[in-house]
Amino acid sequence: MARGSSQSQQSTSTGSSTARPGLAAPRGSAAATAGMRRRRLGGGGGVSSGGGSGVGSGSSNMLRFYTDDAPGLKISPTVVLIMSLCFIGFVTALHVFGKLYLHKSGSQA
Amino acid sequence: MGGGFRVLHLVRPFLAFLPEVQSADRKIPFREKVIYTVISLFIFLVCSQLPLYGIHSTTGADPFYWMRVILASNRGTVMELGITPIVTSGLVMQLLAGSKIIEVDNNVREDRALLNGAQKLLGILIAIGEAVAYVLSGMYGPVGQLGVGNAILIILQLFFAGIIVICLDELLQKGYGLGSGISLFIATNICESIIWKAFSPTTINTGRGAEFEGAVIALFHMLITKSNKVAALRQAFYRQNLPNVTNLLATVLIFLIVIYFQGFRVVLPVRSKSARGQQGSYPIKLFYTSNMPIILQSALVSNLYFISQLLYRKFSGNFFVNLLGQWKESEYSGQSIPVSGLAYLITAPASFADMAAHPFHALFYIVFMLTACALFSKTWIEVSGSSARDVAKQLKEQQMVMPGHRESNLQKELNRYIPTAAAFGGVCIGALTVLADFMGAIGSGTGILLAVTIIYQYFETFEKEKASELGFFGF
Repeated sequence: MARGSSQSQQSTSTGSSTARPGLAAPRGSAAATAGMRRRRLGGGGGVSSGGGSGVGSGSSNMLRFYTDDAPGLKISPTVVLIMSLCFIGFVTALHVFGKLYLHKSGSQA
Repeated sequence: MGGGFRVLHLVRPFLAFLPEVQSADRKIPFREKVIYTVISLFIFLVCSQLPLYGIHSTTGADPFYWMRVILASNRGTVMELGITPIVTSGLVMQLLAGSKIIEVDNNVREDRALLNGAQKLLGILIAIGEAVAYVLSGMYGPVGQLGVGNAILIILQLFFAGIIVICLDELLQKGYGLGSGISLFIATNICESIIWKAFSPTTINTGRGAEFEGAVIALFHMLITKSNKVAALRQAFYRQNLPNVTNLLATVLIFLIVIYFQGFRVVLPVRSKSARGQQGSYPIKLFYTSNMPIILQSALVSNLYFISQLLYRKFSGNFFVNLLGQWKESEYSGQSIPVSGLAYLITAPASFADMAAHPFHALFYIVFMLTACALFSKTWIEVSGSSARDVAKQLKEQQMVMPGHRESNLQKELNRYIPTAAAFGGVCIGALTVLADFMGAIGSGTGILLAVTIIYQYFETFEKEKASELGFFGF
């Protein structure tokens, strides 16, 4: 949300003020809201009048722990999803092998 | 201590090992965000249904029984811990930062990075700690029966599930999804619970024979099968120990009240200095911190329950342990419920009748709810960088000023509204929670509040994203 607004501002502002929106972006709420207002007003009249009534201030205060890049083990979103699915598969496999193992033990006894 | 040394610096050596979802380096299309969000939710739901391998039984007392829905955890599954590690670490970091035990300057990039790393590290440690505590306390059967191998396997499963929840939440927050993972998981769990209690086809044997668990199903079933329609109607509306239609109506009422309050706000006009004629507004909502007070209050209560029950089981004769809370098996649900001590006082009274029977308990609970929510709300604006000073700085960087006010007065003007909105909003959240509990809303008051505020935020996010997408085409 914030980043989208920031990029949008960059496309409209002059070169001298490019750095400023970039700095503002991580902090989100005020910048995002102000940016949204400005761009919407700058657009067509129809868009402005239609969207104005429906749009609130957004979810500026949702629980947010991760707003900045930090040095760490970089992983892409795809890796996160794949890792999660592998974990699910692993636990499922544990159940399957556990059943097989119990079955063999039962038959031997 | 030396001038340069700070507590947060202790985290630096660990940063290299913490998994870090890389930020989105481009504008993610709305449709792609929805896909990421749906996949994350799917992974969470599957983990919530996937049984833990190696456990013997889950018939023992469940210390988290009352908080299961709110903490998005499911008994005996991989998602046993739910979002507890994240929320608890957030709670602890908030208290530390708010009370200045940890010095954090939100304007310094490195400080924010260290704070994030500290929260993540703490979340991981809490996941490990809780997993070990679960196993050793006999939650899955006596340790002797489990065996060392199975015990270690269970701990590893819970730990890795905790890592996944942390990564999924970070994924959504880094711009790849909508909102925050924590809110998404909580809302899904609560809605699932409400729908189940309203439409569950499960039958439960009571003194009057088999009855459907779902309130709506039971209503129609009684109207069809009983000859006395009036008695059937009264039974459906007021039956005890199972969800009834009154509970359902109370839930709907709370939904409507919260949605109504969402619209309360003070709109401050702002104007751009650089682009002449650009006019906008910065709304300050009554629920300025949204559902944060409830989440943090829930985390506090659930941890207190956990500690109290653990201690009570081991040292039930100790005076201080009894003061913290005494527990007893419930006749109906088979779960332990607090019957004395602090844990009992902060538990919601079961009904208005119960409130009248124990007025001190009711009063203590109400005061605790309102105070905790107000304090958490007020503290959160400082920690999350949404205090008057932070907002003023952001607006200044955006070259925005308030018409009719000098630039230096911007912070003072914001200071008139933001702290009041935060504290009063927190109190309102607490009051609505208490009201929902007393009216017997399905789930719990805390759960209803969380679900409504989260769903409302998602609607706002959708509207905003659509406006943003449309703006791109219209640009």
